[in-house]
Amino acid sequence: MPREIVTIQLGQCGNQIGSVFWQRLCAEHGIDEQGILQENANEGGDRKDVFFYQADDEHYIPRAVLIDLEPRVINNIRSSAYAKLYNPENIFMSKDGGGAGNNWAMGYAAGERTYEEVMEIIDREAEGSDSLEGFMMMHSIGGGTGSGLGSFLLERLNDKFPKKLIQTYSVFPNVQGGSEVIVQPYNSLLAIKRLVNHADSVVVLDNNALTRITADSKQNEGAHDLKNQLVATVMAASTQTLRYPGYMNNDLVGIIASLIPTPRCHFLMTSYTPFTTDQIEKVKSIRKTTVLDVMRRLLQPKNRMVSTVPSKTACYISILNIIQGDVDPTDVHQSLLRIRERQLATFIPWGPASIQVALTRRSPYVASSHRVSGLMLANHTSVASIFRRTLDQYDRLRTRKAFLDGYKKEKMFANGLEEFDDARGVVEELLNEYKACESPDYISYGTGEGEPAG
Amino acid sequence: MPSSASTSSLTTLVNALVPSARTDSRLRGDLLEDCQEILESHIGQNREADIGHLGGLIKKQLLQSSNSTTALRFSNLLSRLLEEPLLSRKHAVLLFLHSIAFSEPSSGIPVFLPSITSAQPHAAPQSNVEPRRPLTPITNGNQRPEHQSQSKADMLRAYRLKIGRPQLPENLVLRDALYILQGISGKYVHFVAEGDTAASHNGANTSTSSLSTTDRRVVFVEDGKLTIGVPTRSLIHKLSELGHLYARVVAFVQSKEGKSSVGMIEQSLCHHLQTQLTEYYRLIAVLESQMYMSSDDEDVKEESGLTLRRLEVWIDEWRLRMRMMSVCVEGCKDSHGGALVSLIHTYTDNGDPFVRRFTDALLEEVSTPFFMTLQRWLFSGELHDPFLEFFVALNPGLADVQYVARGLGMGTVLGFGEGDIEDGDASGRKEESGLRLWEEKYRFRKEMLPSFVGETFGRKIFSTGKSLNFIRYSCHDSDWVVTQNRLGNTGRKLVYSDIGGLERSIDSAYQIASQRLFDVFFDKFKLLDHLRALKSYLMLRQGDFADQLLETIGPSLNRPANTLYRHNLTATLESAVRNSNAQYDPPDVLRRLDARMLEYSHGEIGWDVFTLEYKVDAPIDTVLDPVSMEKYLRLFNHLWKMRRVDAALGHGWVRITKGTRMFARVPELEASWHQVRIVMAEMIHFMRQLQAYCHLEVIECSWKSLLEFIEKKEGDLDGLIEAHNSYLDRMVKKVLLLSPKTGKEENILTQVREVFNIILQFREATDNLYNHSLAEAGRRDNLRDKDRGIFETPLDEDAARNANPSESLPRILRRIKDYSLAFSDRALAIVVALNSHPDLDCKFLGVRLSFSDFYRAKKEQLQLQHAQNQK
Repeated sequence: MPREIVTIQLGQCGNQIGSVFWQRLCAEHGIDEQGILQENANEGGDRKDVFFYQADDEHYIPRAVLIDLEPRVINNIRSSAYAKLYNPENIFMSKDGGGAGNNWAMGYAAGERTYEEVMEIIDREAEGSDSLEGFMMMHSIGGGTGSGLGSFLLERLNDKFPKKLIQTYSVFPNVQGGSEVIVQPYNSLLAIKRLVNHADSVVVLDNNALTRITADSKQNEGAHDLKNQLVATVMAASTQTLRYPGYMNNDLVGIIASLIPTPRCHFLMTSYTPFTTDQIEKVKSIRKTTVLDVMRRLLQPKNRMVSTVPSKTACYISILNIIQGDVDPTDVHQSLLRIRERQLATFIPWGPASIQVALTRRSPYVASSHRVSGLMLANHTSVASIFRRTLDQYDRLRTRKAFLDGYKKEKMFANGLEEFDDARGVVEELLNEYKACESPDYISYGTGEGEPAG
Repeated sequence: MPSSASTSSLTTLVNALVPSARTDSRLRGDLLEDCQEILESHIGQNREADIGHLGGLIKKQLLQSSNSTTALRFSNLLSRLLEEPLLSRKHAVLLFLHSIAFSEPSSGIPVFLPSITSAQPHAAPQSNVEPRRPLTPITNGNQRPEHQSQSKADMLRAYRLKIGRPQLPENLVLRDALYILQGISGKYVHFVAEGDTAASHNGANTSTSSLSTTDRRVVFVEDGKLTIGVPTRSLIHKLSELGHLYARVVAFVQSKEGKSSVGMIEQSLCHHLQTQLTEYYRLIAVLESQMYMSSDDEDVKEESGLTLRRLEVWIDEWRLRMRMMSVCVEGCKDSHGGALVSLIHTYTDNGDPFVRRFTDALLEEVSTPFFMTLQRWLFSGELHDPFLEFFVALNPGLADVQYVARGLGMGTVLGFGEGDIEDGDASGRKEESGLRLWEEKYRFRKEMLPSFVGETFGRKIFSTGKSLNFIRYSCHDSDWVVTQNRLGNTGRKLVYSDIGGLERSIDSAYQIASQRLFDVFFDKFKLLDHLRALKSYLMLRQGDFADQLLETIGPSLNRPANTLYRHNLTATLESAVRNSNAQYDPPDVLRRLDARMLEYSHGEIGWDVFTLEYKVDAPIDTVLDPVSMEKYLRLFNHLWKMRRVDAALGHGWVRITKGTRMFARVPELEASWHQVRIVMAEMIHFMRQLQAYCHLEVIECSWKSLLEFIEKKEGDLDGLIEAHNSYLDRMVKKVLLLSPKTGKEENILTQVREVFNIILQFREATDNLYNHSLAEAGRRDNLRDKDRGIFETPLDEDAARNANPSESLPRILRRIKDYSLAFSDRALAIVVALNSHPDLDCKFLGVRLSFSDFYRAKKEQLQLQHAQNQK
């Protein structure tokens, strides 16, 4: 009775990330492209059944649901070496194949149309698990499918599985350099509202930061792949403790319960160091990997996968470091002391907070050139700046009443644009709450005014 | 060979100096020969005082005659001598020492039998002295004609004759003296045992004198005509000491002869004594023949014949030897076996080289049986010591105990304790725990340890044999011991004279045995697997297993203890194993895992009494003895509680997180929920840090040092047991946050346990609030629906049932508030207490809990408030 997790990958971005993620999981568990356990992969110690199940012929099938409204990415997956890995019944593509046109409203509406079919797949996966713990959604919030259909699914999943956890890995769009989707701020805002209200934990993957982190790469042509690699690495690392059980953090609740004290402030930042891929030995030149170095680098803002605006009052609500590799427990002890001494991290004033450290095994099947690597999952108030950014962009667009026609065509906005205002309110509220988090008075937050209904 | 050139020049010289030689070829030849001899003899050659050469010479000799350490020591001493500024004639000193050191053995250990004839060649110088000695005239019965004048002694004798008290002729006394030497009474001198002194007083003019405090006396029998002079008497007395000692030694040897209960060491002592006595008899025999010779031939007597005084000189060396033997005999009364060897060994440090040599020779023989026993013990782990003389003694109660190998094979799969292990316990076979066998089967008897071995080596020997014995009988690996013995023991014989070799042998044997014992434990009996299993299961390292178990068994543990059935527990355990990675553990590990209930009293629930158990059998229980297992259970109990509380918090968190949108429909409770969340976050933080501390700082760090010890593979089983014990004790001490202060050991632990309870109660209260919110939200939905004219849906049945009508909202909120405050107070108190905890790691838990200085700030704030209140 493992605590299974069903992944749902949505849209172009979600499916790209997902396919790299699954490649990585397969590699880490010694499963080949066909889903067959490699002969030398008998070291044990890992739990494959959280993310895979075994078919009658013993080969491993990911608990993955692949959804897209346009066929390109999924067809790529289907023609790749990993084509046979996925359960073909779990792949859903819109019949018309038209996509969502980078329009949240279209994606959302498509969700309503395809609800039966999609939910049937998800239901089947949920029922196939002994003790489903929750869902993990991969998507971007700037486009149409991931954002719109994703929002729709978040709402429905919550209704349908009110006791299951929902975690998303959400890619937040680029701001600089004029992205190809002009209505990104609309899509983002509308999706963020659902992330606030209907997800239990959101791992924020800021495309800006991903670009920045992978920018040092000398192979520019692989930049996109590299970003996907980075995201997949982060996802794999953040699920490492689920897949390689240790003392603690062996289920999703264990991980996020300590990270998220209050339900709305559930947007987590990540850092990963040292980042390597199978294509490039080293993206960043990291000379030494001691536990202290890893933990110190994890705390550096430049390594965070969210580009934030520096703020003096910003602080950590919680931190969980997942350290992989051959680690001497006494080093962790020393590192914690050192970090505290040098006050490398500021914490919330309204409650106790500290750096949690989970030591976990590394996959024996994936070679790593680093002795130690680490992932930080952190709840930091500066994540608010990405919402502030989205709000600002939205406001700029909205005051010009630009590009709203695409939205008005859909049912939700047929009778007006209140949904935009409502979403804006939710995000504004979120910003306020993050701000309040930085003050000791957060203990009595919300006592004065009534909360807006969800 | 002198060269021809030198011969010719010598001839020239001779011819020049001795004119007659020029013609007389014989004389010339003689002279030439003489000259050559002189040249070759180095006479007059002032040998250069080359200390270095001499030193080298000595060192070489030392290397040949003894071992390198002596030579090394010599070099060391020599260099110190050379640095000594006071001595000016260092070479001479060295030369002198060299000659005494090396000339002595060449002249041979003094022959036990003084060679009578060898005195002859030395007669020349002695002859000048002897006549001057007054003893000759005195002892002589007749005056010798060569003497020109009467000596005073002769005059005295004549006087005595005149007054009718002539002295007994010396030859008569001499004969008696020889008897006395053999402990036999003579004609004039009686050797009387103390007890029958009276009987021997035959009215004659007896004068008695006792010999020290012994039980024999010398009684002189003077028949009235002849008297025995005082000097003679004293001589006799001196001689009689030897006779007395002789008698005692003989008595001892005879008393031991043929007796079956005599120890090996005593037997060999007797043997040695017997050999010595034989020598002694030979001496007596020679002396006797000398005596008869001297009575026949006056001339001989004058030169070398036996007199009392000469006798005294001859036997002088024997006196010391007899004394030594007597001491041994004496020692034999109180001590035994190894202690006797030690006793004899104390004399090897004697300054007198004679005593030293004597004891060395004696020890060589006496220690033989000791070394025989040692050899068997050291190389095959068997104690062959019929007379309890060895310094290792068998505990008679455990002598026959043997392990019975109980299904240690891999045949049984997932037994979960229902089967074989308990059967083994129940069958009532005479079995002892491995630890008891290891610790008590053999005993180290320090008093029996020969002092030349030294206690460290003694301990090593003890441990080596014990290890071998243990490998053989407890680990059933006798083949190895036998092979090893055959391989390692070829050509090695342990003897007293080779202490250096002995130490080397001991060291290597110790190394091999302890190494093997390690190997047996880790390779054959998979000790590391068991230790790992204990860590995985009893200390919850196998997190998925622990979660699984907690989830499945948790609900039933809420019930009263007496409603729980063991078979249900074991079934749950089994499913927890199957559903977690525990299933990949070796079957031998899994079948030892068991779930049971501890003794329970009325009113206890399952949580109080449930425990996991890991069963170990022999010989693993040598390390994992029952006391250790007890500690493991204690650790499990605490960690399990932590896990339970943590899981409860986790569930509570999911509940209120997933309930967020529902709570929003009851806005007036939002603030309360916010409070609940804040407190719950603090609780989660507390539990998380507490657990992380236990796992990382305590368990993993302790484990690391244990592994380091194991990987070194140094030390013996005792070392391993000790390392494991310190590993375990460290964990118990730190996980339970025990304080070294007596009476306050469990202060913090008690508070932590209270915190656990508070959290569980808090959790219960929040469930009530949750149900209340749920019911309220349902009610409002219905109302709203009704308002809108929608058909009224029946109230959520679950919510209706869960909403506890007896508990009103204010009550629930008050309880939550109470628990929140109680928790915060306790948490702060614990942090404060930990900050002054003497143990650094425990102190660090305080740091962990207040990593962001939250509790420090809170404490300061409270103090501030307190101060303000007082104003």
